[in-house]
Amino acid sequence: MSIELFIEQLEALAQEAGKAFSEAADSDQLDQARVEFLGAKKGRLKSLQKNMGAVPGDQKKTAGMKLNAVKNSIQESFESAQNRLSSASSDGQRDVKFDATLPGKAFHVGRLHPITQTINELKDIMGRLGFTPAEGPEIEDDYHNFEALNIPRAHPARDPLDNFYLSVAETTSGNDIALSGNPLLLRSQTSTVQIRVMENTQPPVRIVSLGRVYRPDTADWSHYPMFHQIEGLMVDEDVSLADLKTVLKLFASNYLGDEVPVRIRPSFFPFTEPSVEADYYWDGKWVEFGGAGIVDPNVLRAVGYDPEKVSGFAFGLGIERLCMIRHQITDIRYLFTNDTRFLHQF
Amino acid sequence: MIVSWNWLTEYVDLAMTHDDLVDRLTMSGLNHEGTESVGADHAIDLEVTSNRADCLGHIGVAREIAALYEIPLNIPDPQPATSSETISQHCSVVIESEVACERYTARLIRGVKIGPSPQWMQDRLKSLGIGIVNNVVDATNYVMFECGQPLHAFDFSKIKEGKVVVREAKAGETFEAIDHRTYQLGSGMCVIADAEDAVALGGVMGGADSEVSDSTVDVLIEAAHFDPLTVRSAARKLKLHSPSSFRFERNVDSENLDWASRRVCELILDSAGGQLLEGVIDVGSPPPSRQPVNLRYSQLQRLLGIEIPVDFVAPTLEKLGLVVESSDEESVTAIPPSWRKDLTRDVDLVEEVGRIYGFEKIPDDVNVPMSASYRPKADRVVDKVRNVLTAAGFDEAVTPSLVPQPWSDAFSPWCDSPPLISSQPMLGVLEEYSHNIGTVNLLRRSLVPSLLEVRRINDYRSNVNVNLFETAKVYLPSNDQGIPDQPMKLALVSHRDFFAVKGVVEAIVKELNPMATVQIKECDEPLLDASQSGELWLGEQRLGWMGSVSASAKKQFGLRADAVIVELDLSILEHQTQLIASHLNQSQFPSVTRDFNFIMDEEVRWASLESTIRAENAPLLESVKYLETFRDETRDGPGKKRVLFSVVFRSNEATLTGTEAEELCNRIIANCTSAHHATLVG
Repeated sequence: MSIELFIEQLEALAQEAGKAFSEAADSDQLDQARVEFLGAKKGRLKSLQKNMGAVPGDQKKTAGMKLNAVKNSIQESFESAQNRLSSASSDGQRDVKFDATLPGKAFHVGRLHPITQTINELKDIMGRLGFTPAEGPEIEDDYHNFEALNIPRAHPARDPLDNFYLSVAETTSGNDIALSGNPLLLRSQTSTVQIRVMENTQPPVRIVSLGRVYRPDTADWSHYPMFHQIEGLMVDEDVSLADLKTVLKLFASNYLGDEVPVRIRPSFFPFTEPSVEADYYWDGKWVEFGGAGIVDPNVLRAVGYDPEKVSGFAFGLGIERLCMIRHQITDIRYLFTNDTRFLHQF
Repeated sequence: MIVSWNWLTEYVDLAMTHDDLVDRLTMSGLNHEGTESVGADHAIDLEVTSNRADCLGHIGVAREIAALYEIPLNIPDPQPATSSETISQHCSVVIESEVACERYTARLIRGVKIGPSPQWMQDRLKSLGIGIVNNVVDATNYVMFECGQPLHAFDFSKIKEGKVVVREAKAGETFEAIDHRTYQLGSGMCVIADAEDAVALGGVMGGADSEVSDSTVDVLIEAAHFDPLTVRSAARKLKLHSPSSFRFERNVDSENLDWASRRVCELILDSAGGQLLEGVIDVGSPPPSRQPVNLRYSQLQRLLGIEIPVDFVAPTLEKLGLVVESSDEESVTAIPPSWRKDLTRDVDLVEEVGRIYGFEKIPDDVNVPMSASYRPKADRVVDKVRNVLTAAGFDEAVTPSLVPQPWSDAFSPWCDSPPLISSQPMLGVLEEYSHNIGTVNLLRRSLVPSLLEVRRINDYRSNVNVNLFETAKVYLPSNDQGIPDQPMKLALVSHRDFFAVKGVVEAIVKELNPMATVQIKECDEPLLDASQSGELWLGEQRLGWMGSVSASAKKQFGLRADAVIVELDLSILEHQTQLIASHLNQSQFPSVTRDFNFIMDEEVRWASLESTIRAENAPLLESVKYLETFRDETRDGPGKKRVLFSVVFRSNEATLTGTEAEELCNRIIANCTSAHHATLVG
């Protein structure tokens, strides 16, 4: 077959197809025309393509290019007809086969753990109040976990049975913990970060530290041997309980999304004096928020600050508690089982 | 501490309502936990902090009330009558262990008649939920709940030779307590012994043998000060916690021993008769003298943030039992009472004055100075990583930091040293299925085993498409004495195939640094499949590991389906992160794309093929995209594969001509042929 004839056939087909597409009155007719001209097996373009084999070898390239051009133009006129008909349907013609109520194609967006979500939010709020996040090690020494925090050797909190003291496999058996010197343990509170920050920073200090803490409680619905705390610390000239109360009120109101009353009442912690327990008023009752107080002068002295020149407040809250109350989670163990159905709720 | 409303009226006039009282107590440090009605009485449950042992008795609570309401406090002054006989004729006390017992006093009453205690005393003890025994034992309990000092009454006829020895328990010594159970004592415990055997466990529990019974005639009254730590460790070791040990653990008032002793004798004489012998045996060290504390008024404003009238300060301290020595315009100096060992510094008095004045008067709307905070880079990097992972459909898990031995052994790519061991195991953190795996007492060196367990739990519960990640510290022991290395890691476990997960890793890296590329090298980790695994590198830094879990590890971790794991070092990612991106000019000219299809040996790795493709073609080669691999043994022979890829060329200066593109393609074909014996298909 000569190249001229092949081209002629192609152009005729293009014209015919264009006419058929443009005259199609509805999507059924258009579909019939599509099968006739563009059908993958028995379409007329497909059959015409077979004629290319008969075109002389040196003209095959030209023939191929023409074929492509025609193919594109037929495709275009089909698409414009399709567009015409689909816009026509907005004039009142609905295609019953298109069920817009079918579900969208699902894709799963992963969820952050509710503890992380709580931490992020608390960090955010404290950040807006000028508190910068600070990190500290989870494996601590006795000095930073207790001594520098004014917790004397005889204090019940230092009982070996109430802490995860550590040993190295080769040198000691797990039960044989040397409590002399400065043994290592998993920190029992995030207050240790206060010490590490103050040891390395001159006042003013305004930090918030968040993270895992450890106490050997047997896991039950309300206890877990690992949990998370947030700790805030502000040290400057003349920082008082009024500053603490103001910050806690802003913090609680921000977190709960509404102006809430906050009260402080006397309590006892070795590392603060005066020590207070903070409550917020929610749902008609006082809810425990966490412990706080004015940093004990012994703690300030331990990090080389002069308690006559600076004072500060610190507060610490349990994150699981805040998270569980907020999301009505009834068992702390759910948080650490990580059933994806649980995680997908948040 | 449960207090009885009626009992309190013995010391203070309770003209206020119950609700008002518990509110004031809560706001001054005795948190109200609840109140129950017991007959005509109220049992009020107050939380007493460990520094306030003085409030473990009704008088202490009454003193708080007197200070809060500025009303008088009436404390009895027991002066029991004595006979002419003296105690020293019949009894002696020796303290052998001064560490365990700093002071011990004894009084002796002869000829008592054991019977029920008076009704009023029974009623008050019942309000507190204390069991009723007899007129002697009830009196000792009554005085303990009155003033906080535990007391013990011995049947004196059972004290051999009338000799009381306070000593450390001998190794292997046994002792039958009032509960008629036999306890194995050990060193460090304090016993009260007679000439032969232990008759009581000091501060913890009395002995069955010397217990006051219906046949008791002579009663020896012990009022002592036992060491808090000794009592606590004994009570804890023997699981013998009692109201008495609770009080000794919080330190009793050594100066009040004699008052408590006289008070209980008076009550016993009233209800059981008998004769109190003249004198008291009082051995041990006298209480140390109490030092005056100076409080500057300026400290009140400075630390509390409110102004407290100066004339409020000294009277309040006096109400709380301090003796004011002197005061001027600037400060007051006062000696704290014996029951308040917690008051030694000015700041302690600041709290006292503040809490009686009322913390509710402290404002919550002061001007806290502004201060700019910043977000540390590590936080910003982790946030970006989490964003990519959640977008990729991964849920975040949080798992315990301690693991059992088999998990610890299963995967520890970051360090060869054995894990750190905790003295205490984590109890109750394993699912029932995993109970027999081992004690949860090792600090994990990798997050992966914990995530595989989470995966198992989810598989078991028929959860599908489980893709999880965790960011947490691992604990790597080091040889030096300091704090061990605790780097943050990111671990993933996925249901998807190796390349889907590798794509997620690449996306994380690209998010943090668009110019960085991940390389993978062979690794040898038994947890991972030998071929579908590798060490991940970013330039010269090892980023971590990834791979499909091997068949044996799947079995070990109880997995029913395939899993791919990743563990990355977040500090390397942080190091590579560019938080602020830089702009590069975009070419304004169109690109040219060419597809290639090469036949080559199976052994040729894509990474090496890609570097061949890129060689010599910068800067016109814009990108190389791997498309597919085919195998057709019948056409290409064994050990061969076809690799399809596409290459995009573009110039910054002009539209590439067909000839220029042709030249670039030819160079790729020539280089691939010479470097990899690859043959271009058709």
